[in-house]
Amino acid sequence: MSVSNLLENWSQFRHFHPVDDKPHDPYKWAMSIDLDACTGCNACSVACYAENNLPVVGKDKYAHGHSMHWMRIERYWDEDVGVAGGREFPDQGAQFLPMMCQQCEAAPCETVCPVAATNHTADGLNSQIYNRCIGSRYCSANCPFKVRYFNWYDYPTTDNVWPAEMSQQLNPDVTVRGKGVMEKCTFCVQRISAAKVAAKGEGRIVHDGEIQTACQQVCPTSAISFGNLVDPESRVHKQWKAQQVELDKEAQAKDKHGEEGGSSGLRGYRILEELRPYPSVMYLERVRESAV
Amino acid sequence: MMDSGFDRRDFLKVLGWGGAAVALSGCGNTSIEDGRETVVSYSEPADYVIPSIGVYYNSTCAQCDAGCSINGRVREGRVLKLEGNPASTINRGKMCGLGQAGVQHHYNPDRVREPLLRKGDAGETITWEKAYALIAEKMNGVSGEEVAFLSGGVSGHLKVLLGNYLDSFGCKNHFVYEAVAPGVMRAANKKSYGVAMPRYSINKAKVVLSFGADFLGSWVSPVHFSQQYAQFRKGVDGQRGVLIQVESKMTLTGANADRWVAVRPGTEGILALGIINALGTATGDIAAAVKEYDRVRVSKETGVTPGQIDKIAALLKLRSPSLVLAGSAAEGYAHGSQNAAAINLLNHVLGNIGKTVEACESVPFPQMAPATGNTAALKSLSDGLAAGKYKVLFSYAANPVFTAPGAMKFKESMAKAGFKVAFAHYMDETALQADLVLPLDSALEDWGTQVPEYLATCAQVNIQQPLMERLHANTRGMGDILLALLKQRRAEEYKGYEDYYAYLRGALLKNKGALGGANVDDDTFWNETLTRGLIKLEGPVGALSAKANAAGLKLPAPAEGDAQYPLHLIPGVTASLRDGRHTNQPWLQESPDPLTTIVWDSWVEIHPKKAAELHIVEGDIVEITSKTGSIKAQAYLFPGIHPEAISVPLGRGHEAMGRYAKGYGVNPFQIMDAVYDNETGELAMHETRVRISKTGQRVIVVKDEGSAGGSQAGKKIAVRVSTDDVDLSEEV
Repeated sequence: MSVSNLLENWSQFRHFHPVDDKPHDPYKWAMSIDLDACTGCNACSVACYAENNLPVVGKDKYAHGHSMHWMRIERYWDEDVGVAGGREFPDQGAQFLPMMCQQCEAAPCETVCPVAATNHTADGLNSQIYNRCIGSRYCSANCPFKVRYFNWYDYPTTDNVWPAEMSQQLNPDVTVRGKGVMEKCTFCVQRISAAKVAAKGEGRIVHDGEIQTACQQVCPTSAISFGNLVDPESRVHKQWKAQQVELDKEAQAKDKHGEEGGSSGLRGYRILEELRPYPSVMYLERVRESAV
Repeated sequence: MMDSGFDRRDFLKVLGWGGAAVALSGCGNTSIEDGRETVVSYSEPADYVIPSIGVYYNSTCAQCDAGCSINGRVREGRVLKLEGNPASTINRGKMCGLGQAGVQHHYNPDRVREPLLRKGDAGETITWEKAYALIAEKMNGVSGEEVAFLSGGVSGHLKVLLGNYLDSFGCKNHFVYEAVAPGVMRAANKKSYGVAMPRYSINKAKVVLSFGADFLGSWVSPVHFSQQYAQFRKGVDGQRGVLIQVESKMTLTGANADRWVAVRPGTEGILALGIINALGTATGDIAAAVKEYDRVRVSKETGVTPGQIDKIAALLKLRSPSLVLAGSAAEGYAHGSQNAAAINLLNHVLGNIGKTVEACESVPFPQMAPATGNTAALKSLSDGLAAGKYKVLFSYAANPVFTAPGAMKFKESMAKAGFKVAFAHYMDETALQADLVLPLDSALEDWGTQVPEYLATCAQVNIQQPLMERLHANTRGMGDILLALLKQRRAEEYKGYEDYYAYLRGALLKNKGALGGANVDDDTFWNETLTRGLIKLEGPVGALSAKANAAGLKLPAPAEGDAQYPLHLIPGVTASLRDGRHTNQPWLQESPDPLTTIVWDSWVEIHPKKAAELHIVEGDIVEITSKTGSIKAQAYLFPGIHPEAISVPLGRGHEAMGRYAKGYGVNPFQIMDAVYDNETGELAMHETRVRISKTGQRVIVVKDEGSAGGSQAGKKIAVRVSTDDVDLSEEV
């Protein structure tokens, strides 16, 4: 596919929801993350460094916001903690949130890329084509989740972030990115591709559980589920269904209950859903005991 | 793939030379050894190497002592990634960040590569033959009492060999020292439960009341407990488990609690007795012991409101079984053992013994069981060194010059040893003081067996095997070194073992029957064992004592304020850096601290209220002064800390070790006072009192959290819901 073809026929290629005319078939990759299980331990983030050849940028560059953690743990305190007139201590703990590319169905990053380096795949991934990227960084500016990371430096060469033997750890299944390109979480696309190819060779589709993302695999509390949302047998599908979260809606059953002042018993939600990016990641609210 | 009877060692040689050469040429390097071109064609690949296909080998994580089984991904002769082995009952296929960074230990550019002999201030490269000869020479005419061997926790066959080596010259001076270890807990548990390390079943408890046990972060076996925690949150019979954490400085576990209770430092035991009193179910001795601890008094002494004490007691009464844990935060005082005893008493009163505190199996080979130790052992070594008792000092898997409390002045005592040998991975602070430095293989290059101290569901011997050929020609495994040293002493006895591999294989095969291989031939047993990476065993079950004993339980009144040093210094033990032995692994340096999100530096946690009082704002460089010394670090305003305390994390502040560790942050060990637990003699890590003052400098704190700090700015980003509003039993 040439770039000119892509640009001229952009509306045909632009794949977003609602997509009644183009349903995902046979795959739509999605996640669900249980915040009641997540402990904020950071194991997922380290797994991502190991799997996806993420450079360690060092203290000075980190200070300038140049960190490259595709998967990061955000930590929030309650608004009334530690402020005048508020609670003295965070006596219900902290709120942890694993944040990575939400693989939006109508991704705000895609529409602003001047060269169509980021676009949607048929199986519902927001993909990034490194060798097409010219580094305008518009995508990052337009991302409401701030999960796109730009290579300000040539980390493998001039910055030498993998000195001597360290480079032998690099995963050969994943590119090492050079200066001037944008990168982000891919849902471990190299693992997805390998499994899809293997399944295709056997004339079937990928079964649930065959693909684990690196973060999901390592998570000590199994807080992360990943799978094919359109496979009724998949755990992700069952979780989304049980929580009544629909991919192509910007308000869910839970929100309606909320408006009516009642409790739905549901805890599935998507972050910044009201902006209508239709994210592919559902979070389950953290639960806290009321009796103590 | 492993049962075809081929020799694993040959396989690795093939894999190492052929495979690694191919791999290296693939990523820009063209040689393994300097100046030598090595190109191997893919048309004739080595056996079991399929270019571009990863193969997985089981081994054991050596980043801490928990004994998680790992599954190393190897491609073209290089180990790429460590994943968890699902067959292990300890980690069940899961890993922590520290464990995964094991590959950076292996590939680290700052590893020691050659034996080094001190020449003035520099090290001269020597051969292994010369190094061994030198040790033989220095040991000549030296009696066993004049030799000291310092090591970290050791277990398995390495411990057996080490014991045999020390026996060979009648040496009884093996000092086992782990700077961050549950030394007080072991002793307290022995008294309360009859065993040092019972099995804790978080997953069976409906309420967990933890006094500073950071079981999700760095306590005992965190990956195992994290899995139990996930089950605990899903709940027994659909009733979600409730976690209450009592501590003066919020740990990762505290940050996940339903109720985090800030307690005045050192009064954890008093609160435990207050809860027993509030429960009102105790009789006899115990009732008498807690009679004085009414809610008004306890509230006054601990700073916990009477209402909160009542709520905790009511919940514990209502939901059974529960589990009460005593962790390092409660034990780090001069009265740490008493605190732990009071806390353990709660488990007896609540009837948790046998339900969530259970007897556990131990490995049926006591000689392989882990040797454990804490700072009491180091103190004893340090005293001996200061008295000039030792002519030869060996140091392995410990870095006491970095981790000894400043008041101990270990570096000065160490200088009095005649000849100092360090077995080292890096030129760390201790290796720098040695006369002879011997470079070690990484855990991914070496053979071994490991027995975890905390056994999850059954007795287990873990197998460590090389995942790839040595990176550097002149490093050696600790087992091989000990064997070579033993041959100097008992040549006849050990001449049959060419190397540690041969010894290990021989030793395991000799006990094949007891290790579950009675009905298979040697090669099958050996290959299957390596394939599995662990041996599960039936072991003797320790006897748990169900009888509560409140006799002799006496807690001191809360410490008086000290006008000169008004604040408690709480050393923060973080999940990724712990005692600082792995600080030179860049993933860990750049992995934000979960609570403060700070990277690459130390910080001082101070409560916003206290900070306002002292006019300290975030980023102020403050000086912390104790009786022993002072350090300077950036201030971070942290609501999860008692206003009478400040906290500085351990692990940073290296003056040596390597490019990723040296010069980043400060080392709070340096200013720790020499206060010891009254009963066990272990270092009371939380007893150091300090004062804090501004230096006038200010920096921008390098952290992951954005300009809004921990605020969600009114948006629904990370959302919380009350248990009243959900029904977890309905969920998938």
